[in-house]
Amino acid sequence: MPGVILKGLSKRYGDVGAVDDLSLEIKPGELLALLGPSGCGKTTTLRLMAGFLAPEAGEIWVGDRCLSSPTSVVPPERRRMAMIFQSYALWPHMTVAQNVGYGLRFKPGIRRSDRDARVREMLRVVQLGGYEARYPGELSGGQQQRVAVARALVVEPEILLLDEPLSNLDANLREEMRFEIRRLHETFGITTLYVTHDQAEAMVISDRIAVLRAGKVAQVGTADDLYHRPRTRFVAEFIGRTNVLEGIATSFDVVAHGGLRLHIAPGALQPGTRVVLSIRPHQVQLTVPVDGTEGANTFRGTVQRAAFLGDTVDYEVKLAGSDLVVRAAAAPSPRYEVGAGVMLRIAPDACVPLAEAE
Amino acid sequence: MDRSIAVWVSAALALVVLIALPLGWLGWLSISGEQGPTLAHYRDAFTDPALQKALWNTVVLAFWVGVVSVVIGAPLAWLTARTDVPARGLIRGLVLASFVTPPFLGAFAWVMLAGPNAGILNTAWRSVTGADAPLLNIFTMPGLIFVVSIYTFPYVYIMVSNILALIASDLEEAAAILGAGRLTVARTVTLPMVLPALASGFILAVLQALALFGSPAILALPAGFHTVTTQIWSLFQFPPKVEQAAAFSVPLLLATALLLDVQKRLLGRRGYAAVGGKGGQRRTIALGRWRWPALGACLVVMSGAIFLPYAVLAKGAFSRAWAQPLSRDNFTLGNFAFTFFEYGATRAAIVNTLELAVLTACIGAAMVALLSYVTNRRLVVGHQLVAFLVLAPVVVPGVVLAVGLFIAYTRPPFVLYGTLWILFLAYLTKEMPVGYAQADATFRAIPADLEDAGRVLGAGRLRILKEVTAPLAKSGIIAAWCFIFIGVIRELSASILLFTPSTKVMSVVIFDLKEEGQFGAISVLGLVMLALTFATVALVQAALGRDVLGARR
Repeated sequence: MPGVILKGLSKRYGDVGAVDDLSLEIKPGELLALLGPSGCGKTTTLRLMAGFLAPEAGEIWVGDRCLSSPTSVVPPERRRMAMIFQSYALWPHMTVAQNVGYGLRFKPGIRRSDRDARVREMLRVVQLGGYEARYPGELSGGQQQRVAVARALVVEPEILLLDEPLSNLDANLREEMRFEIRRLHETFGITTLYVTHDQAEAMVISDRIAVLRAGKVAQVGTADDLYHRPRTRFVAEFIGRTNVLEGIATSFDVVAHGGLRLHIAPGALQPGTRVVLSIRPHQVQLTVPVDGTEGANTFRGTVQRAAFLGDTVDYEVKLAGSDLVVRAAAAPSPRYEVGAGVMLRIAPDACVPLAEAE
Repeated sequence: MDRSIAVWVSAALALVVLIALPLGWLGWLSISGEQGPTLAHYRDAFTDPALQKALWNTVVLAFWVGVVSVVIGAPLAWLTARTDVPARGLIRGLVLASFVTPPFLGAFAWVMLAGPNAGILNTAWRSVTGADAPLLNIFTMPGLIFVVSIYTFPYVYIMVSNILALIASDLEEAAAILGAGRLTVARTVTLPMVLPALASGFILAVLQALALFGSPAILALPAGFHTVTTQIWSLFQFPPKVEQAAAFSVPLLLATALLLDVQKRLLGRRGYAAVGGKGGQRRTIALGRWRWPALGACLVVMSGAIFLPYAVLAKGAFSRAWAQPLSRDNFTLGNFAFTFFEYGATRAAIVNTLELAVLTACIGAAMVALLSYVTNRRLVVGHQLVAFLVLAPVVVPGVVLAVGLFIAYTRPPFVLYGTLWILFLAYLTKEMPVGYAQADATFRAIPADLEDAGRVLGAGRLRILKEVTAPLAKSGIIAAWCFIFIGVIRELSASILLFTPSTKVMSVVIFDLKEEGQFGAISVLGLVMLALTFATVALVQAALGRDVLGARR
């Protein structure tokens, strides 16, 4: 199972650089999610991978084969890849079995009888056994999705590409299919590139996530990395919700915002420089105010808004003596009413400094 | 890219030659004099009082045809799209019939119905009232406007009913819930939304009237007046004044282009394509006691366009004397024998027409399929230019195209005048936009994903074309074939300038027969033409699974 290396890829549409000097590595057998807002170049990257587009600069390597470079592009049909489309792209004039079996015709050394057996087996794997003679138009959205998955997997591709495959499903089915795709990936272990704009989907499905912004990779890492150690404000705000706090470093591990002093750990700040911090709402602890307990990273505040979300309550707390409003996610009990005074405590290692330039 | 690229490029080149050559020659000849470029032909054409009169007549005709078409087409569209008027399917079918009826056949039928002397309606009127004067005289400007309008209003009908089908009742109900009364809703919501469609239907009707040759030739010439198209035709009669005809054609061409541009802008604004929202339901309006009178009104219109003309053609085909009452003595099959076996020109003309129609439809369908695939999938640089060129003949009235073709192909390097090939070129060029529009819609409905999915799995471009694209596009291309076929068998305005005695087609023979007063034979040929047309329409509807006017069944 080969891995994929994208080296300095660029592709422009008119004046807009859809993909701009993008480099990325997908390890053998890994499922990498390409995550970003619309227009960030993720679909362009996928189509460059598939060979539908030629790069203007850069190269794409799969194992020891160079598939794309500005001078030569191996056509899609010779890349040994498979792709699952957002629209599923099932051929309406072919039955389920014909759809799934289509790619097997181009694999050498597979006899017709063998082909049928493989199609049946794969349909069983995606829980569509017995649907061979149906037409796509006779299936539900979720079933069509499974056919598309079967069609891509049955050819045992070296690389699997998925282009927002779940965006046409309703919420419940989407949740179910996330785990289904993860299960199939663990069964077959195909090197996979998964394009999505849904961060929750990326976190559930992938081994690693590459966050894309304006045609460049903003950060690559596991979901845990990106959530707890975002490098830029963009990544911090794109993956989950966060509080962003700007201030000035007064020592190597203290940031000042107005009258507030915030300790961070580990600290490696240049005193006197501007600092942007990310603090996740669930790492802001709320307690009933008790006199005399104020200390490092502990502040008084007033609840401005509270929204009950089931397993958590979402608070907006205005800090005393400051213009700051901090969002905190706390357990449903104890409950603090709007207007109540609270104490906030923020652990030093929950304050993550972000790179200023993005 | 791959080996298919040669095919795309040559198709695009053919297009340039088909359109650029005749129109280039037309423009050039209109300004060429013995001492270099001159505007003398334009001066001659536009200072001639007779030509000025023809120009004015055309303006009057086109304007009133537009008005009458709106007056007939818009209410009919509203009735069938939004109300519970009985027999909506029948009414739609009859509008479709009027849409595909060759207008010159309708004009002949109305000569037999309302000619001042022998017209059946007039003789009936005289025998009932004892009056001397005829009730109706079709050989007048109002008569001409009437006969053109009853076959032109479907353009307004199609535009308006398709828009009405898109406007969800929600939009009207949203106004009603805010306190607008029924009339206010109609005035402030429905009408403004329909207005661009109405205006663009008006313009399409005007364009039809501008370009029409057959009906004015049949009705205006005996009445002693000309329109631009008949005038151009008469400039071609001996001694031919080709340069003047060219000069006279250019303004017609420009007027058409201008009007089409206005129409496109009207439809392009305010995003009408987006009015069909999600879950947009259309509720029907109950007409109550007006249901049956409304149906009656529709049928009165349709009797003018369909029932009376078709009946009189049928009567003419089976009668010894078409003006006499139906009786056993008057019944004959002689007209059929005369038409098919005795009258020299007809059999050859039917063969010519069918040959040309099949050839044009096959080559045309192949070309538009290829070209619309190229433009839809953006396979060549300049695909926008290709799309523009294929649609360009829309602005060229048949007579003008014929003048261009005549000039281009009566001189080296291509001398085609006198052969069927010049007619073939005329038909191919003229029908290209209709076929292209159909093929374009077909490929637009086939997402590129379906092709890409096959490529990734290992199939090459040509194989995907054969196994995925072709099966999905088949019915749409068959429909394009049929549209071209129908267009060719009814074509008169270009044929009338390009035929020679050995290359007559059906429409031209019908026109000749009129000079000889052979109404029986005209009726027979007319019925043949109608039968061919309706058989083809049936084929389209079967292929597309919807009616030709644009609604799903």
